Amino acid sequence: MLDAQHNEVAGAVAAPAIPRAGRKQSDWIAKAAAKRGMLLSIPAWVMIAPLFFLPLAVSLRLSFYDKSLGLPVEPSFVGFENYRTDVFTSTFAEALFKTLVILVLGLLIQFPLGIAIALALHRRFRGRGIFRTLILLPMLLTPVAVGLMWRFMYNPELGIINWWITQLGLPPVDWLGSPWPAVVAVTLVDSWQATSLVVLMVLAGLSALDTAPTEAARVDGASSWQLFRYITFPALLPILLVTLMLRVIDGFKIFDIIFILTRGGPGTATQSVSLLDYNVAFTFLATSRASAIGVVLVLLTLPLYFLWRKVAKLQEQA
Amino acid sequence: MRSRIVSLAIMLFLSVTSIIMLFPIFWTISTSIKTRVETFQLPPVYFGFTPTWKNYLALFEDSAFIKVMINTIVVTVGSTLLAITVGSLVAYGLANSQAFPGRRPLEVSLIMMRAMPGVVLVVPLYDILANVGLLGKMPTMIVLYALINLPFAIWIMTPYFQGIPKELQESAVVDGASPTKVFFKIVLPLALPGIAATSLFVGLLAWNEFLIPVVLGGESTKTLPVFISGFVSARELDWGPLAAASSLAIIPIALLTAFMQKRLVSGLTQGAVKG
Repeated sequence: MLDAQHNEVAGAVAAPAIPRAGRKQSDWIAKAAAKRGMLLSIPAWVMIAPLFFLPLAVSLRLSFYDKSLGLPVEPSFVGFENYRTDVFTSTFAEALFKTLVILVLGLLIQFPLGIAIALALHRRFRGRGIFRTLILLPMLLTPVAVGLMWRFMYNPELGIINWWITQLGLPPVDWLGSPWPAVVAVTLVDSWQATSLVVLMVLAGLSALDTAPTEAARVDGASSWQLFRYITFPALLPILLVTLMLRVIDGFKIFDIIFILTRGGPGTATQSVSLLDYNVAFTFLATSRASAIGVVLVLLTLPLYFLWRKVAKLQEQA
Repeated sequence: MRSRIVSLAIMLFLSVTSIIMLFPIFWTISTSIKTRVETFQLPPVYFGFTPTWKNYLALFEDSAFIKVMINTIVVTVGSTLLAITVGSLVAYGLANSQAFPGRRPLEVSLIMMRAMPGVVLVVPLYDILANVGLLGKMPTMIVLYALINLPFAIWIMTPYFQGIPKELQESAVVDGASPTKVFFKIVLPLALPGIAATSLFVGLLAWNEFLIPVVLGGESTKTLPVFISGFVSARELDWGPLAAASSLAIIPIALLTAFMQKRLVSGLTQGAVKG
């Protein structure tokens, strides 16, 4: 898909012979381009400075003060008090743990299933286009609506999932009302959406793949599993890493689906870090305490930034 | 013989996963056109009921709901235009010059914006916007949506701009074309397919956005996801209208996907696959 795109562009301009610009001119053009790069990013800075940097700075400052939402009282300095009461606590630790459980459990579902579906869809057969569209759909849907759809199905008395379960002769499950089933329920909904992303990315990787090594190995008598294990999988590794990174980022941010399904409940059973921060800020109206949590969440996402750069470098080498 | 069995097994696997993928969507849409009795009937009614539009009519009879739909469309279109305009300028800059003052800080900010949980930003923004009286205003919503989707827009568009040969631009400059002219006459037309694909995606993200409008929006900026979320807590067991509201959120996306599948796929995977 990607190739076609680029070839089209390249094809359109390859026809007329283009005189190569001399070295001096290139230098001049590079300088002009550098200046242009700076000028072109001004509108972005105009948005980022007041709406991204300023809030982060305000958050950092507030995290050392005592301030409630909407109160016009001058905030008073409290040092690391907010970090003590809201970050180094079992509540925060539980939220972090639950976020990671939902994330890791989800990855274990999404990657094997997503890769399997992509491999199946990569074969040529009639109606492949329809399957591709259908499989793509879940990841594009509004998370709030998705949460609601599943909320109907998870309903303990009236939901269709428990009806199926009891038809099989098994006891009904209070999906959203008991702690661990709720974690599983949230993970399943998130995976229902995210598996599509894995399928999409792996399919793109597969279609960009050089088929010559596979053909050669097949002629030499390699089995399907050997082909996948030693040729296809290593070739897919860069795109799998990109997908993994995207999933880790979005998994760490998980909010909408849980907000609709359980609001973090029952109790704090499905309270992700984002939900915890939200609740402290807008349920308990403790702006400064929420800011302390926010500052720590930013620090926790810093490794993701380094991962991003690594992945980008890896791609350039590929 | 063996390969036929394998093919059959694969088709079976694909069919089962497709049914699982589709069932929640099918179930929501069918609930939205059932009567209350059929909705709660067990064993469940899958097919063969007479569709009713009652649930949709109930929604649209309320003028507040029509306002919600209009708001959702306005903020989606407005923020997409803004994000794409600002984003394509940056993407062109990033694609065109290896180094320029502020390039690294810009890249770092964009990655951080993408990786950080949105709540972290929304908490202090509430305070700041309340202080300057911009909370719950439509223009504020449009700018914030655009900001949040800016990293994504730039990330997808940059490879499209990189795909435009430098020689072409250089020779135009040598021929005496101004940088503005080069951008509008050469670069923009060639990047247009990429910009279109990116717009679809950014529009989709804006349509789905929940955190910003639920926290920083007000009654006059209420969007469909916020409406659905409020509905759930207020009228938990009104499944019919709830399903109808959800269907209104997802049906446009389903149609878009059906008609634009190729565009969407190439757009999303653009940055991820080195062609």
